[in-house]
Amino acid sequence: MKQAEKVLSVRDVTKRFLGTVALKNVSIDLYENEILSVIGENGAGKSTLMKILSGIYPYSEYEGEILIEGERCKFQTPIDSESAGIAMIYQELNLEMDLTVAENILLGRLPLTKIGTIDWKTVRQTASEALHRLHANIDINVTVRSLSPSMQQLVCIARALVRKPKILILDEPTSVLTETETENLMEILNEFRKEKISCIYISHKLDEVFRISDRIAVLRDGELISTYTRQEGYDSRLVIEDMIGRELEVMYPKIDRVVGETILKVEHFKVPHPFAYGKNIIEDVSFELRKGEVLGLVGLVGSGRSELLNAIFGAIPKSSGKVFLNEVEVNINSPQTAKKAGFGLVTEDRKRNGFIGTMSVSHNMTLTILDFLRQFIFINKRKENHIAGEFFSKLRIKAPGLDTIITNLSGGNQQKVIIAKWLMTNLNIIFLDEPTRGIDVGTKADIYKLIHDLASKGISIIMVSSELPELLGVCDRFVVLGKGVVQAEFGREDATEITLLRAASNT
Amino acid sequence: MRGNNFIDKALSALSKFFVKQESSIIVVTVLYMIFVTSVNPVFFSSANLFNILKNTGYSLITVVGMALVLITGGLDLSVGSVLALGGVVTGMACKAELPVAVAILLGLTTGVIVGLINGSLIVKAGIPPLIVTLGMMYVARGAVSVLTQGVPIYPLPTVFKAIDKIRIAGIPMVVIVAITITIIGYLLLSQTPFGRNIYALGGNVEAARISGINIDKTKMIVYVIASGLASLSGVFIASRLGSAEAAAGTGFEMTVICGAIIGGVSTFGGVGSVIGAAIGAFFMEVLTNSLTLMRVSVYWQNLVVGVVLVLAVLLDQYKRNVILMSSIKAKK
Repeated sequence: MKQAEKVLSVRDVTKRFLGTVALKNVSIDLYENEILSVIGENGAGKSTLMKILSGIYPYSEYEGEILIEGERCKFQTPIDSESAGIAMIYQELNLEMDLTVAENILLGRLPLTKIGTIDWKTVRQTASEALHRLHANIDINVTVRSLSPSMQQLVCIARALVRKPKILILDEPTSVLTETETENLMEILNEFRKEKISCIYISHKLDEVFRISDRIAVLRDGELISTYTRQEGYDSRLVIEDMIGRELEVMYPKIDRVVGETILKVEHFKVPHPFAYGKNIIEDVSFELRKGEVLGLVGLVGSGRSELLNAIFGAIPKSSGKVFLNEVEVNINSPQTAKKAGFGLVTEDRKRNGFIGTMSVSHNMTLTILDFLRQFIFINKRKENHIAGEFFSKLRIKAPGLDTIITNLSGGNQQKVIIAKWLMTNLNIIFLDEPTRGIDVGTKADIYKLIHDLASKGISIIMVSSELPELLGVCDRFVVLGKGVVQAEFGREDATEITLLRAASNT
Repeated sequence: MRGNNFIDKALSALSKFFVKQESSIIVVTVLYMIFVTSVNPVFFSSANLFNILKNTGYSLITVVGMALVLITGGLDLSVGSVLALGGVVTGMACKAELPVAVAILLGLTTGVIVGLINGSLIVKAGIPPLIVTLGMMYVARGAVSVLTQGVPIYPLPTVFKAIDKIRIAGIPMVVIVAITITIIGYLLLSQTPFGRNIYALGGNVEAARISGINIDKTKMIVYVIASGLASLSGVFIASRLGSAEAAAGTGFEMTVICGAIIGGVSTFGGVGSVIGAAIGAFFMEVLTNSLTLMRVSVYWQNLVVGVVLVLAVLLDQYKRNVILMSSIKAKK
């Protein structure tokens, strides 16, 4: 076998953010006609590496060098990277929904006629050719909005092809695809391999990665841990162990609580996909939750963990499904009704729908209990300050005062304020969606302890987290989601990172 | 020792005042009034101040409603047309020899109905407020034209015209009503759960929804209040003129929005106060009045108002940055 040419070399790349190192001396090569998968847990440095390759982080902001076909590249902007032959397909498809397929494919490089108008004939021809290469039967004259997500993704790939890339980077390309659509994508990528286009493939779904990749690179905590080649064969156990590695020692409270009777029953939930019209992200999910239990909802990105929580809470619509609270069916169709039933939701993205950035700490806390604070028609401010102050000190929130605007607080303290908002209500069950995302280690430990204390008091908790060690540290039981259904259930004693990840990724 | 203490207290009170949202507009208004008086002392005559106060009353009634709408992150462009509609409906009811009280009630009801329509289209149909109220601006103005056929409705009954002339302790009726509404608006916004909902909505509508706040109801009520108050302004203006005019309140929505913004209400929502908006409305009136007194040509006046609006927002933003920076420094 002849020695393959190196298309891309990443040499000793280190990228620092304020206080943290996102990539440490990473060196990876990509060869001609190769499909390389880059995998790792959240925060492993995959997206940082891709942002360096696509020019989003300019040359001056990292150490080390990038070579394309032996030549040193200094990308200042994504345009530089594109002209060097790198095309990137993002997870969130960045198409212009109201332009036609042809316009989208040629966007940014529309050919002109001699008099400076758009040369529509060439536009249509080029677009058709690109789609033809993908075996995609898509009308180039319809708007992108009218296409299904998988078709939209093909349009994205076609757009990349028109730029004649040497390297194609795909970030979680199958998160909106069905199995047959995934199959089709795999075939297309295999054909690219023959056409001298090298691919970097990023995915959480290990089964796909194993099938498509010539080589796999595992990143963890910003470092390249290992590479595996197809010749050697892939062992999911080894790969997962590399992804997880030895974890930072975090103090989890000792679990010595007693779990009570079943309090919540979720039956046959079906939830529509948030951005794939006509598809369900959750097909049929049923599970139970006991009083004082901490239940971990496990699943890969795109498995619908958050959507399931949000749908139970009434924050997003469900297609069907029933909720029973203490054996009585409750009809929850809005957060208002959920609150009345004693539910609380700490959302995944604090800034988007967790706190209100224009409001103070205390006003953010009491949002859920304004009716309770009402005296005649006014808010009883003494009572408000008293209650807010009580939780402020109980949760050890670090802020200059109750009147401080919440955006001046650190992420961890903002999160405590949001949790306090629900603790003030008549809380039975609280849903925690990535409660420790972007939070420092010290505050994380506070939140773990809080979860334990709440459960000990009889409050039931459903927790979603991408960090498995954290789930293993605080949960009593685990429900694993995948492909829209419950894949497996584990008790505390049977669950390890490997069993959970294997169940979630179906390997 | 005691002297120092006093100075400290005064300084901390002063710094608290400057942090308040309303401070910049109050300072600017006072400074500007001193400046105008030095150019033309007539400005500070009691007759002129009385005049300014009364004129402020007409717009202030609507500004309170507009402030609520803007703080939810919304917008109401239809208030000028609703003002005319409220006046015309009241005028026509008077002409039909209905009792004046009933006539006024009909005028106000019309305003409330318009608000309900605006609110429903925004809440139920999900159409952006800008478009709904822009449409309503034309529809209501069109309804006025159809009703009046372009002919002013007059003469109106003496009893109706008297409303504008009534004074209590020398204060015109419209000023009393406007101040009462301002106080109610202030209490509503700053002291009640409903007011808190308004701020929450404008600050982050999704977070407000997740917290179990009824955002639809809150939006609905806010648009009803805005339109209702606009029609009340219309009733007072018809009473002052003694005639209900089809062209009444043309461009009024912009004056009202300007007043609220100058008073520190954010067009992004979540920030502002009724008191600030009220002072903003007062400042707008001071500005137009003073330009006339200083013999600035009518042709220049719009230009000045535009510049002042942008300057006011600029000042406000600068102040906010300074406060933010100092709070960050304090943390370190």
